[in-house]
Amino acid sequence: MSSAGDGVSSAGDGVSSAGDGVSSAGDGVSSAGHLLEVKTLGAGYGIVEVLFGVDLVVDPGEVVVVLGANGAGKTTTLRAISGMIAATGQVKFLGESVLGRRPDQLAKRGIAHVPQGRGTVTALTVEENLRIGAYVRSDDQIESDIQQWFEAFPRLGERKDQLAGSMSGGEQQMLAIARALMSRPKLLLLDEPSLGLAPLVTHEVFDRLREISASTGTAVLLVEQNANLALEFAARAYVLEAGRIVLSGNSADLQGDAAIQKAYLGV
Amino acid sequence: MSATATTGASAHRSPGDWALKVAPWVVLFVILAIVPFQFPSFRVEQFCFWMTLAIAACGLNLLTGYNGQISVGHGALFGIGAYTTGILITEFGVPLFGATVASAVLCFATGILIGLPALRIKGLYLALVTLAVATLFPLLLEQFSAITGGSGGLQITSPQLYRGEMRERPIRLESPVAGLENDQWKYFVFLGITVVIFILSRNLIKSRVGRSLVAVRDNEVAAESSGIPVSQVKIVTFGLSAAIAGIGGSLFALDQGQLYPSSFTIVLSIYILVAVVVGGAASIIGPAIGAVFYGLFSDVIVQQMPDRIQPARAVILGVLLILLMLLAPGGIVGGFRTLQAKWSARRSSALNSGPDPIV
Amino acid sequence: MRDFLQILLVGIGDGAVYAMLGLGLVVIYRSTGLLNFAQGEMAMFSTFIVWTMWSLGLPMWLAILGGMAGGFCVGALVHQVAVRPVGDPHEKPLAVVIVTIGLFLGLNGAAQLIWGTLDRSMPPLFGRGQVTVFGVAVAWQKIGAVIVLGVMVLLFYLLFQHTKLGLAMRAVASNSESASLVGIPVPRLLMLGWGLAAAVGTVAGVFIAPNLGLGTNLMQLTLIFGFAAITLGGFDSLVGAVVGGFVVGALSSVMPRYITIFEKMPLAPAFILILAVLLFRPEGLFGKKQVTRV
Ligand SMILES: Nc1ncnc2c1ncn2[C@@H]1O[C@H](COP(=O)(O)OP(=O)(O)OP(=O)(O)O)[C@@H](O)[C@H]1O
Ligand SMILES: [Mg+2]
Repeated sequence: MSSAGDGVSSAGDGVSSAGDGVSSAGDGVSSAGHLLEVKTLGAGYGIVEVLFGVDLVVDPGEVVVVLGANGAGKTTTLRAISGMIAATGQVKFLGESVLGRRPDQLAKRGIAHVPQGRGTVTALTVEENLRIGAYVRSDDQIESDIQQWFEAFPRLGERKDQLAGSMSGGEQQMLAIARALMSRPKLLLLDEPSLGLAPLVTHEVFDRLREISASTGTAVLLVEQNANLALEFAARAYVLEAGRIVLSGNSADLQGDAAIQKAYLGV
Repeated sequence: MSATATTGASAHRSPGDWALKVAPWVVLFVILAIVPFQFPSFRVEQFCFWMTLAIAACGLNLLTGYNGQISVGHGALFGIGAYTTGILITEFGVPLFGATVASAVLCFATGILIGLPALRIKGLYLALVTLAVATLFPLLLEQFSAITGGSGGLQITSPQLYRGEMRERPIRLESPVAGLENDQWKYFVFLGITVVIFILSRNLIKSRVGRSLVAVRDNEVAAESSGIPVSQVKIVTFGLSAAIAGIGGSLFALDQGQLYPSSFTIVLSIYILVAVVVGGAASIIGPAIGAVFYGLFSDVIVQQMPDRIQPARAVILGVLLILLMLLAPGGIVGGFRTLQAKWSARRSSALNSGPDPIV
Repeated sequence: MRDFLQILLVGIGDGAVYAMLGLGLVVIYRSTGLLNFAQGEMAMFSTFIVWTMWSLGLPMWLAILGGMAGGFCVGALVHQVAVRPVGDPHEKPLAVVIVTIGLFLGLNGAAQLIWGTLDRSMPPLFGRGQVTVFGVAVAWQKIGAVIVLGVMVLLFYLLFQHTKLGLAMRAVASNSESASLVGIPVPRLLMLGWGLAAAVGTVAGVFIAPNLGLGTNLMQLTLIFGFAAITLGGFDSLVGAVVGGFVVGALSSVMPRYITIFEKMPLAPAFILILAVLLFRPEGLFGKKQVTRV
């Protein structure tokens, strides 16, 4: 924790010394421009506090990663944002305060969340999982979207009538991501998508995500253990430690800084 | 739960604390001792019934509260204990004490039998099976009316000296102590047995065996991997729990002197379960408190209500149960513990003026 | 032989009713993962609503619709105020069992308060006539029960397999967390599931009441038959409830006739069935094996 103060930057306002200021949260861009704006977010489980004032922003179409050690509170941050657990502070989505809303209400507003591990509905078939992903939609392109996913991930297409619960862990992870994107969200919260995926498949998934994000303008807030991969994929990064953001900045800067690599990213 | 355990363990054993701990028990025993002299005979009879209910609830609590196996069928085990006692005394002339022991043994065996499926089925499914057992039991009694007397009832009799000759007469517990009425004597006999059973189950729970019960309840897989023979623990717990319920039933038979299938319907099973959860599952004394509350409710409060709204008794009980689960799932004892923990946390934070310790 | 057929057909007619009750249980299990011990009492309660409307002069079919609507409201209300606040049945099975038992007591007592303890009589929906097929007499009422059951199953099948709502209900039952993350209003769907189950129970009650007499313990034995049916068929299978209902009905009708020990307890075969299935094939004939991960 004390290392937050030395060297690179203080908590919350970006690697201002190294970057050109694009990423610095809270100044420059007006708050109306942010897709997601989280301020002094606090959350926990029962009497155990996990988050102690997390600040972060995600702009439309942007890909942002949250890095941190096990137990730092990354999953908790995502859960608090998507309304799965009670939280304090401020969460603004599209300029509207959404703290205290249920997950399904946020889904309707355009936040999709792929939780860590078991994100599929195991008792539904693969195809039904995709269809349920489009629950908030009522347009006529749902079927063609499903077909597109089958083309993108042929393994899903081959197993479309199989129960999701009987798929391999990696296949389920793919399905969970595809299902989340079926809602055509404005913001995708992704919790450790690489978990259980083979390195090659991980790359495939990230490539695909980048494509989608670029073509549809979907912003992504990613939580990832694999720091190098994540920094390649994301434009900006936050580092979470013991429930606080201790560092943030452009991926390129974080990648280049050996001290940061050592201190936070365990490389 | 852990809150009281830790504070209890870490408390300094000063004489004052000791007195504070013992005093409530002394008061309780004094009250229990004078109660039969303060109430009319019919009330004392009712207290005897409450004790049989408390014993059955104590047995169910071992199973459901500490071991996590839900049974909605303990009324049937209670009934088996009652009918075994009745039949042994009436048909075979077995002495009372022998009949009670035999009932416990038979119920232990029955419990093991019911416990066998419980190895494979859990939670709601076990509840379903035991529910079916409870529904079936009175029908079984009617089916085998040749030995149970069917719906005509079973009169429990024993050969007794009457006007100079031996005759089959309704059993009763004769007071051997001058100045003690029969019902008062029965009260003290029942009280003695009840206290012994509660103390024995307390010792069981505090022992290593008891800790393995709880370990199995909390996480079977973890218990298994730390070397606890999960299947054995579950089956034996079922047996023990059934045996205790059987003892309760046996006393019930002695108490009533006559048995009817209609006393052992699903409703009885529900009442035993009610006693457990109202008092507080997974607390030793909880089932006794629950039994007393149930007794007060059905024998005292409900009796005050006009006849026309008697069915309201079920409504009130149902609503109370639901409210209890919503507001204080730990029952009376659990609610008390929560209050206590809050109070002691406030006190210690006031003393240390530091942050609350994480309990 | 004719005797046997006669008894078998009676059993199958009863079985249709067990299946109806079973359908309600399956619907609740599917949408909430819960075995509802108060299902029978909910059905009894709404059957009394039917009776009240009918005895006020409404035509029977209208009374039944009214009873179903009433049942729906009771079920939905019960879920909102009592069941949902308690929490997840898989995490706190004891609390949930106690709540359904509380409902059992409460509904039963409420019915006694409102309608008294005397049995009421209700006419059979399909009259008292019967047809003779191959020398065996079959009551129209039984045939009617089978047909109504068929229609109900078809409707539920369409709901669960071919509508967005049904898909959402299944998603909620399987993984309510993920369901809520894709935008499904979970609490509302659970409420709907309870309402539907209660409405279905009404129909079962309307078929049973003419036989047993409409009293507050109308459903207590029948519920065990219903549980036996879905245990055999699989807790989450609609088809299973139907097949299970027929098997249980047939067994409970035939066995007591030929095996004297069951004479006074037609319930016993059902009980043995429950036990055997849970022991040897817990997922039932048509149920899906629970995929559980530690
Ligand atoms: N359901 C829960 N109940 C109680 N404590 C929890 C719960 N979930 C997480 N925690 C605690 O909260 C802290 C943060 O957990 P979180 O899951 O957010 O970490 P994480 O950064 O996502 O870690 P990982 O990289 O291992 O997924 C941990 O100390 C954990 O023990
Ligand atoms: Mg995590």
